[in-house]
Amino acid sequence: MEIFSSLFVSAILLGCTYTLVALGYCLFFGVLDVVVFCSGDIAIFGAFSVISAYILTYDAGIFQSLPLPVGTLIVLAIAAVLCVGLSLATYFVSVKPFSKSSALMPLLSTIALGTAIKELLGLAYKPIMSNLIRAVTRIDTPINVTSGRNPQAMPKLLNAGGSTTERDFIIMGLTLLILFVLFLFLNKTKMGLSMQAISQNKELAYMSGINVKKTINTTFIIGGIVLTIAGFLLGSYQSVIRFDTGSLYGTKGFSAAVVGGLKSIWGAVIGGMLLGFVEVFVSGLIPGGTQYQNIIAFIVVIIFIVFKPEGILGEKTIEKV
Amino acid sequence: METLKTKIDSPAAVLLTNIVLAVLIFFILMSDWILSIGLMILFIAGALILDQNGIINLIFDAYNHYKHIAILSGIVLVIMLPFSLTGNNYISHIATVAVCYAIACLGLNFQMGSTDMTNFAPAAFMGLGAYSVAVCTTKFGLSPWTGMILGILITGVFGYLIGLPTLKTKGYYLSLVTMAIQIAFTQLINTIDYLGGSDGISGVTKYSIFGFKLYKKYTVFGVKLAPQIPFLVVCIFFLIICAYIAIRVYHSKQGLALNAIAQDEIAANCLGINIANQKLFAFVIGSIFCGLAGSLLVGLEGYVGPDSYDFSKSLMLICMVILGGMDNSIGIIVGAFILTIISEKLRDFADYQQLVYSLVLVIMLIIRPNGIIPRRVRKYFNTFRSSTVAKTIEAEKAQAIDFNK
Repeated sequence: MEIFSSLFVSAILLGCTYTLVALGYCLFFGVLDVVVFCSGDIAIFGAFSVISAYILTYDAGIFQSLPLPVGTLIVLAIAAVLCVGLSLATYFVSVKPFSKSSALMPLLSTIALGTAIKELLGLAYKPIMSNLIRAVTRIDTPINVTSGRNPQAMPKLLNAGGSTTERDFIIMGLTLLILFVLFLFLNKTKMGLSMQAISQNKELAYMSGINVKKTINTTFIIGGIVLTIAGFLLGSYQSVIRFDTGSLYGTKGFSAAVVGGLKSIWGAVIGGMLLGFVEVFVSGLIPGGTQYQNIIAFIVVIIFIVFKPEGILGEKTIEKV
Repeated sequence: METLKTKIDSPAAVLLTNIVLAVLIFFILMSDWILSIGLMILFIAGALILDQNGIINLIFDAYNHYKHIAILSGIVLVIMLPFSLTGNNYISHIATVAVCYAIACLGLNFQMGSTDMTNFAPAAFMGLGAYSVAVCTTKFGLSPWTGMILGILITGVFGYLIGLPTLKTKGYYLSLVTMAIQIAFTQLINTIDYLGGSDGISGVTKYSIFGFKLYKKYTVFGVKLAPQIPFLVVCIFFLIICAYIAIRVYHSKQGLALNAIAQDEIAANCLGINIANQKLFAFVIGSIFCGLAGSLLVGLEGYVGPDSYDFSKSLMLICMVILGGMDNSIGIIVGAFILTIISEKLRDFADYQQLVYSLVLVIMLIIRPNGIIPRRVRKYFNTFRSSTVAKTIEAEKAQAIDFNK
């Protein structure tokens, strides 16, 4: 029974991280009808920027002088700014030029951009970081920064006391908080409502006087913030982060969004939790199942797509001529 | 323009183009990486400029008119290529790899170019072909040719099985299904100990025909050839067969039906095209090509592992198809050659390979989504230009112009 409850907790935690990246997919797909496939890589970029912001502020002596929550918030804010920049760049480089071509073009270009982000993280992390640290600490001796291709240790910002229970509660609480805030934002604010309007009918939204450009930019800013937190929580949960985690993580997040029904926030939650539960229980209950957890997760996804392509909470679209 | 047309539409021009292309390929293969990439950029720029003036269409027409000269001179030049690569093992290796990738890309094109179904799992099918050859030769001691035939059968059956669920899905969902298949394939191979797990299978038997080894140094006419040359010739033979099949399919009713599905599925259905059959056809023939390419490639390298056929390899194949030009067999072969040579020439900078692929893909998609040599407009009235139908159309056109005056 104890094993079962611990599996339950880790399934929910994994589900939370999937949910957050699936939320990114939902936001982008809802407004633009475009799958921004590099969301996973943007999240990993967010995690890397959390690490670098932490190291830099620590070396500069700012982080220690502040209380831990305030320091964490500052680090997260710096990372979010970087991540929002990347997500806006994604929109302008690999989504906007294809607004009039077939829907698969942005998919391909965002996949390619995701690979570029991943490789650049692996290549450029070490030189940039060592230069930055040298600039901050003003020491001329060579600084030992591990290459970006190695796993990077995530700073223990959520469990400074060393207990994982505290960390687990914060991960779940943050996910719930983001869900709540997003729900309020989408349903109660003018900007959120105009996002929904664009998602339903773009031409009509134009005609009703909605500033479509501004709304799309806002969506990418919010998506960048959500993805930063997704990467940060994933890193804290796994305690190390690799530069190439993003492609698999992004594919899982996309699967979660599709299984739940693209365009639906609660669908993303259901899909993420489903994937988390399948993976954790396969690896926990079947002997030697750790090897097969990804395979079985993807088989579940394929079965879902074939038999219920509109997703659990999605609306069935009937194609008309 | 007219004089240029008559000048290009001559046997001498066809011969000249062939020789220029052969010399260009020779220098691209032989020179070091800076010069080689410079030449390739020059080639791409040249192709783009010719395409903008419409001259490239004239050249294609000339090739159509003087087919025999083009094919004969092409064969002579292809035979000369191995002699010019004397003893240069590495370059013969690159050429063979490029030919194998070109075959796989032709297969991928049936799905991606003709039918507009983006398949993210071509590398998985290549892997199936490669693994069946590896298992047949190392575990059962069979000939690699048996392995190749088995591999083609297996990939055909798998192409059918995977094509079945994809009939119900479209667009993003199809992409996600094929991605899931690709990732599941790599992870599954990693876990099966019989297939060597993450170590893969090494020591795969090389191909031979009736005791004539295809991987050996031969001396022909006093010239010492590189060991890969006989195998390169066999691969080129397979490439010619595959390209022939691809071009015939493109010009047949089947190819037209595939294009119709790409344009509008519902309209195609209303015109009486059996969509399920056509899509399955595209999947099966495409995966057979990929399986063939994989089984040839393993014969060259003698090793197969899960990392050789992962998602990044699929992305590379897609990149080749887009770079060359979707739904244009010649363009696809050009794209496969260019990307293979770039990646092999940049072997010293292996860390940058993936980055180069992805940046090439992003830039290509923005600047020129149709590829270097884009698909041609189908010419329906070519065959009955002299027929009465065409004459009536011409007459009507002339009348219309008169009327406008």
